Amino acid sequence: MLEPLKPERWTEAAAAHLLNRAGFGGPPSEIQALHRLGQEGAIARLVDGKGLATELPLNPPAWAHPDPDRVAKFRKLQGASEEERRRMRQDEQKQQRQQVEELRAWWLGRMVASPRPLEEKLVLFWHGHFATSAQKVRSAWLMYRQLDLFRKAGMGRWPDLLLGVTRDPAMLLWLDQAQSRREHPNENYAREVMELFALGEGHYTEKDILETARALTGLGLNRETQEPEWRPRQHDPGSKTVLGRTGPMGPDEVIPHIARQPQSARFVIGRLWRFFADETASADVTRGLVAEWDRSGGEIRSLLRSMFRSEAFYAPEVVRTQIKSPVQWLVCALRELERPLPPGPMVTGALRELGQDLLAPPNVKGWDGGVAWINTGTLTRRQQFAAVLVEGRAGLAAQAEGPRGQRLRERMAQQRKREDGVARIEALFSREERQDRQRFMAGLERRFLHTRMRSQLKDEVNDVLGDDAVPEPRAIREAVRVVLQSTDYQLT
Amino acid sequence: MSANLRTRREFLRTTVLGSALAGTAPAFLTHTWAALDAQGRDSAVAQTTGRDGTILVVLQMAGGNDGLNTIVPFRNDHYRRVRRRLALPEKDLLKLSEDLAWHPALKGLQALADTGQCSVVQGVGYPNPNRSHFRSTEIWQTASDSNRVMREGWIGRYFDHACQGCDPTVGVHIGRQMPQAFTARTPRGISVPGPARNRVGREPMAGGMRLALDEFAPAETPGGSIHDLSGASGASGSVLDFLDRTALDAQVSSSKVRDILARPASGTVYPGSPLAQSLKTVAQLIAGGLSTRIYYVSQGGYDTHRDQLGTHARLLGELGDGVKAFVDDLKSQGNLERVLVMSFSEFGRRVAENASGGTDHGAAGPMFLAGAKMRRLLLGQYPSLAPSDLVNGDLRFHVDFRQVYAGVLETWLKVPSEPILGRKVTPLKWV
Repeated sequence: MLEPLKPERWTEAAAAHLLNRAGFGGPPSEIQALHRLGQEGAIARLVDGKGLATELPLNPPAWAHPDPDRVAKFRKLQGASEEERRRMRQDEQKQQRQQVEELRAWWLGRMVASPRPLEEKLVLFWHGHFATSAQKVRSAWLMYRQLDLFRKAGMGRWPDLLLGVTRDPAMLLWLDQAQSRREHPNENYAREVMELFALGEGHYTEKDILETARALTGLGLNRETQEPEWRPRQHDPGSKTVLGRTGPMGPDEVIPHIARQPQSARFVIGRLWRFFADETASADVTRGLVAEWDRSGGEIRSLLRSMFRSEAFYAPEVVRTQIKSPVQWLVCALRELERPLPPGPMVTGALRELGQDLLAPPNVKGWDGGVAWINTGTLTRRQQFAAVLVEGRAGLAAQAEGPRGQRLRERMAQQRKREDGVARIEALFSREERQDRQRFMAGLERRFLHTRMRSQLKDEVNDVLGDDAVPEPRAIREAVRVVLQSTDYQLT
Repeated sequence: MSANLRTRREFLRTTVLGSALAGTAPAFLTHTWAALDAQGRDSAVAQTTGRDGTILVVLQMAGGNDGLNTIVPFRNDHYRRVRRRLALPEKDLLKLSEDLAWHPALKGLQALADTGQCSVVQGVGYPNPNRSHFRSTEIWQTASDSNRVMREGWIGRYFDHACQGCDPTVGVHIGRQMPQAFTARTPRGISVPGPARNRVGREPMAGGMRLALDEFAPAETPGGSIHDLSGASGASGSVLDFLDRTALDAQVSSSKVRDILARPASGTVYPGSPLAQSLKTVAQLIAGGLSTRIYYVSQGGYDTHRDQLGTHARLLGELGDGVKAFVDDLKSQGNLERVLVMSFSEFGRRVAENASGGTDHGAAGPMFLAGAKMRRLLLGQYPSLAPSDLVNGDLRFHVDFRQVYAGVLETWLKVPSEPILGRKVTPLKWV
């Protein structure tokens, strides 16, 4: 078993770390509330939703269901001229693109507002793990449905989840399983399920891939209902040998067989640890989590509990050493600034520029994360968007170019006079904090960094605050911006 | 408060409220400045490698390009036998030799080749090929053996060896995630955001209903599940050091880059594809006199497991037309003599097609070189398609990609290749 955190080490900083990693951080009031629950209570709240007064109702987007007109549309399409078909396809895709944009904003809204942040955080983890892109799936409904699978089954047992994903319509399209035929099976899903989803490179042979591809034949997608379907005539019923097991396997046999490999436990544990804790898990951590995996039958919920309880999760080499992903960066900033999600297109556009276009990962391996998030271009953009978040909507106009940008800026300048951004930022700090420089600095640290500022950043904040004993409101806002633009703030 | 600091703050503020493609770094970097090592300080002032040096443009075709349908062995019986759906009709092909032809969409490259500005290196690969996109990309990016995992990239090692004290703009990557090839002991290079990601499905291609799963999907697919492939990434030293250094590089380079890109572009008309737009940015930066030795652009979508024909034609069209426009632009700038374009893809595809109208992961494939004086059209040797010559159904390579790297390093960038590639290889003779 993993060494649990000593009770005396359950501090407010530890609670902040837990909320950052198991969720998307939050203002000091939330951290204090979590701290008061004690470590077990905090974990029970985050993992099981225990003791929550309210839940955020799901309220899916209005279009999030199978299209009842789909069959009729197909018919119409078949009777149409080439020109009409082209137009109809274009209309359909435009609509899908708009809906995918809505889905992104809907999901981000849940990350910002849900009282159960771990639920959304885990959906984000699985989205990165089974990285599926709407750019190929081209259906907002199927993307929604896949996220919903992660929300419902993402804490369950690994073999069930892997089988669920294998039969997931978006995945069937994404890795071409829907088009695999027995006479020459498509290897795409078979390869990635071993390399990227369940085992990792080097833990299977090319032959295992070919044989798995054969075992998966017959699994397809009904294009009218958009449901997975079994096509016995497309299935290759012959004997296959995959990872040491031989038999006439189909999807329901071969996928759990892969998921139950000891290597699969190590692989998924490594990925979870990297996402929630640290780049690599030590041998002790791996051993402890593998034991938990075996005990629970690969139940993700149990693993998360063990992780969040463990001493290792709160070790100094773990706390504040992770580079925030763009989503983490954005949602954390919003929650710390206690402001709601800005309009959808603005945030999804920002995330795209920062390198994390939700529902459109760069490839099937997902986002590499860590230092890969940061280069001269993306770091500059983070600094600009930070300014935008602190300056209010006025700053957003700065992103637009040309005469349109000019017009926007003029309009926004007017708006800013009405929109009381300054007061809002001020309200993040108590009266005492606002009237005492030292307390104000401590307030900045407590709200945004959960650690002491480095001396460079402290100097910079001091410069911004000027010589006044009581900082001006304008200086307070600038100081917040400086903190959000700092390299310190990129870590969690 | 120092004047410098005030200026920087002013800069940040005006940037936020005023300019478009702006680069900023927070003011505390002024303090960090002194703390960084001497190289960092040099980088702020040095203009070393200069405006007259040769330039290499690396073009990544991510996803695994089907070499067989790129340079087509149209007389080969094996080709027509194993590519029943995908073999390209002879009448459409653009002949380049007795037995080989360009894909019909590669008009751009053909035009360049006809004027001695493009070469094809045939059958490039490496021993014990890996068929994972990610692992094989790492191998190409680090120039490692397939059984050896390395962190630093071949371009990064070139910077470490040959560009000590260079400005960070010695390497420029167009896109969102720095390729592993740039990873170095002392990291250099900047990222310039590229054009917006390709909106797939803009223009469905003409033609009747295809056997598609979803009739509403256009007749071409977006090219599978691979858009960008950056390889593994990692920074040496602490994460905070890495962040500070990147912020510093951004500060040093951003205003320069911004100023150059704000100038009016040349008259050359580029196609609208993301690749062509990336190349246009590169041409602008070259024209602007940035002291860059290596530019890196990428085109995704080559992972054509299904319905390959339409997608592949679109991609190759974007490639050929984009490179053609780029070469023409450089020529009119008077800079073509200094520039060499080198393409690569992490692997070719399986010789036999699959039953979804696509191809699975394979091994050897062609690379392209484009520049002012490409005297020989065909380099290397076309791999045999005879079943007995295939390895697990894949083409055998004849040129190791590290020979191509060595040829480019020694002949073009004029540095010894051995310390950079960590081995002695016979450089490909390409001039």
